[in-house]
Amino acid sequence: MDEITSVFVTESREQLAALESALLQLEHNPGDDDTLNAIFRSAHTIKGGAGVIECTYIVSFTHVVENVLDTLRNREITLDADLIALLLACGDHMGQLLGVLEAGASAPDEELSAEGEALLQRLQAGKGASTQAPNTNPTAGTPAAFDALIESSGGGAVETDCWHISLRFGPDVLRNGLDPLNFLRYLGEIGHIERLETVADAMPAAAEMDAERCYLGFEISFSSTADKAAIERVFDFVRDECTLHILPPHSRLNDYFTLINALPEDLMRLGEILVRVGALTQHELDEGLSAQLAPLAGAAATDAAAPTQAPQIGEILVEHKVVQPELVAAAVARQKQVSENKAAEARLIRIPADKLDRLIDLVGELVIAGASVNLLASKSGSEALTEATSLTGRLVESIRDAALQLRMVQIGDTFNRFHRVVRDTSRDMGKEIELVISGGETELDKSMVEKLGDPLMHLVRNAMDHGLELPAVREASGKSARGRLELNAFHDSGSIVIEVVEDGAGLNRERILAKAIERGLVQAGQALTDAEIYNLIFEPGFSTAAQVTNISGRGVGMDVVRRNIQGLRGSIDVSSEPGKGSRFAIRLPLTLAIIDGFLVGVGEAAYVIPLDSVVECIELSAEGSERDYVNLRGEVLPLLRLRQLFGMEGELPSRQNVVVVHYAGSKSGIVVDQLLGEFQTVIKPLGSIFRHIKGIGGSTILGSGEVALILDVQALVQRCASKEAQHVPGAARALPTTSRS
Amino acid sequence: MKTIFLVDDSATILLSISGILSKAGYGVEKAPSALDALKKFQAGVKVDLLITDLNMPGMNGIEFIREVRKLPNYRFMPILFLTTESQQSKKLEAKAAGATGWIVKPASADELLNTIKLVMR
Repeated sequence: MDEITSVFVTESREQLAALESALLQLEHNPGDDDTLNAIFRSAHTIKGGAGVIECTYIVSFTHVVENVLDTLRNREITLDADLIALLLACGDHMGQLLGVLEAGASAPDEELSAEGEALLQRLQAGKGASTQAPNTNPTAGTPAAFDALIESSGGGAVETDCWHISLRFGPDVLRNGLDPLNFLRYLGEIGHIERLETVADAMPAAAEMDAERCYLGFEISFSSTADKAAIERVFDFVRDECTLHILPPHSRLNDYFTLINALPEDLMRLGEILVRVGALTQHELDEGLSAQLAPLAGAAATDAAAPTQAPQIGEILVEHKVVQPELVAAAVARQKQVSENKAAEARLIRIPADKLDRLIDLVGELVIAGASVNLLASKSGSEALTEATSLTGRLVESIRDAALQLRMVQIGDTFNRFHRVVRDTSRDMGKEIELVISGGETELDKSMVEKLGDPLMHLVRNAMDHGLELPAVREASGKSARGRLELNAFHDSGSIVIEVVEDGAGLNRERILAKAIERGLVQAGQALTDAEIYNLIFEPGFSTAAQVTNISGRGVGMDVVRRNIQGLRGSIDVSSEPGKGSRFAIRLPLTLAIIDGFLVGVGEAAYVIPLDSVVECIELSAEGSERDYVNLRGEVLPLLRLRQLFGMEGELPSRQNVVVVHYAGSKSGIVVDQLLGEFQTVIKPLGSIFRHIKGIGGSTILGSGEVALILDVQALVQRCASKEAQHVPGAARALPTTSRS
Repeated sequence: MKTIFLVDDSATILLSISGILSKAGYGVEKAPSALDALKKFQAGVKVDLLITDLNMPGMNGIEFIREVRKLPNYRFMPILFLTTESQQSKKLEAKAAGATGWIVKPASADELLNTIKLVMR
């Protein structure tokens, strides 16, 4: 695909998204002109672009859609729910056509064409839209009067084989940026100007002259092989404001006199000019003059300032003058329309994603290299050097943040897609659902946003299918008939949380438990908290839907959702209250590539803990060294000994430290030997053979060149929690070990 | 070298037209919206011709042309607008606002360059 095509596809997809959301807005607010205009503009832009890349099937389909939108905009037809649905379907079809273009096919396949044809017929059937092919002929719209002027109307033919062009410029030509001389230059390109007379009769005395007004006219004798249309086209831009007459070679004498009479200058003087430019011979002029003067009964002939009294000419002039008032009216009408929508537009630069990725990679390398310089500087003991490196360090940090910011996009666009989904699905299911979006401006890594689409879709469909009840059921339980579905995004301690919340029936605790026991996921009689039971729905192969519908899939979903989220180094969690609804919370790291880390040492090895999750560091007291928990200011803090966990040999150091970490409301202490301080870390993924190791999230390279493993705090904290629950259930219940918020 | 200022909200159009123009030896300035373009004008950008779309979000092309004509340095600059509409009323409206002429989209490179030649001083 060439560059223009790919730009076109990207742009058109954005336009389609805008068109769709505007259509949905119209559903609530049908009379909104701005929205209608925006919709029209989207279709218009797509058609324009398709025309540029010569993609005819998109042009022809979009053209009809555009026409219907135009009639809508002009209030010739009204918008109802059916038409919105039809237009939405048309938008989808345009999306598919873009897919065809992207795939490099020359035309859509039969099935798709048939679908498009059916849509067009429905559009045209109801709405009487114009079905004409787009008019690409630039001379379309020529006023009929103009053609009439160059038709022969009797009298003998004159001798010359040149075209005769008579031109009087309108006063505003200069002010509209036109240079009268340009016409002459341009005529010179399509033929040869044989003779030319400049008519400056309208020029007033120097004192009264307005230098910005054009007073000039030309009488031109022009030889050319170009046809009438080509010569006409030269004057396209001035046709409405100038007096223009084009007489083809060998026009009849009467035509010339019609012309002479139509012009404001003196009859005799014009006659002379025409003879001078070679349009007429003196003999022809005399002959014509006598023929003209006879029927005019003297009056018009002597009073040349009022030549409009000649009957045929009068008609032509009227034809001409209609144009002028229209022009003025249009200008006035336009001025009344105050600009309303001057909303600040985002200034955008499009950059291929791989260029950005390369930049992020380089910044990553810079961070690593910077760490090694820092290390050397502090070893050298030179104060000046340390100071200089710490300055560079700060700058590198800023560069890192700025570079990462480049990849950030707002989640709003992803959220807005669900308006359509919710609308369509709720109709299909006979439910009334209101979608409420908040935090659409929250930013996260673009690659993450892309991968979030599917899991979110699944959660939303699930919420609509299983969560929210039918209106009757809702009313029976004392709730409003209209269900509420929320999509929220916000920041929370270094992560981004995305929530799907509904006020439906809530999860059925008993049924989940029964199903989990049946599937062997848990043992009967095992003590489980509500939260643990609810989260069982993320286990592979779990489904409680009494009936499998085509909306939410076949019960293979939730574990896939969780796997997708975990693939983004995130987690998903559900909470629910019977009769009140459920809340699915997805928790994601801010970025995928670089983090601020906290470096710790255990034995010979170094580990990195993501700084976002570190709360504080404390020294492990002698009394705590034997137990699996410590008393942290009255709170029980479960401990996790890395030395044990990773099976490391060697002598215990005389002093051990605890790094207090938190994750999603739970705190744990990680016991390490040494605290080595903050450290900027570029995450390098581990090879696939390490994928199943719990508690390790990746690796990084230290300034010294050594490899350090990055701890996966989420997995460690969960491990802590499950260890409590499984091994010492009694103790875990008795002591509020974690502060669940 | 003559410089042409191109204003259109469609990236496809900007890319295709600027390609034709630079190949024909013109310098090209671009802006994605009327407001951006006005800022450049107010900063005194040196251009010999303005080509603008009419149908743009924010400030539309006709209003834009009217604003440009108010700026002393650009009162006599040729202004072409891009249109797909064959309706006379749009053209008259734009001309009343101060436009010099128009280009009907989609235009071939020849049509485009000829039109430019016609109005370029």
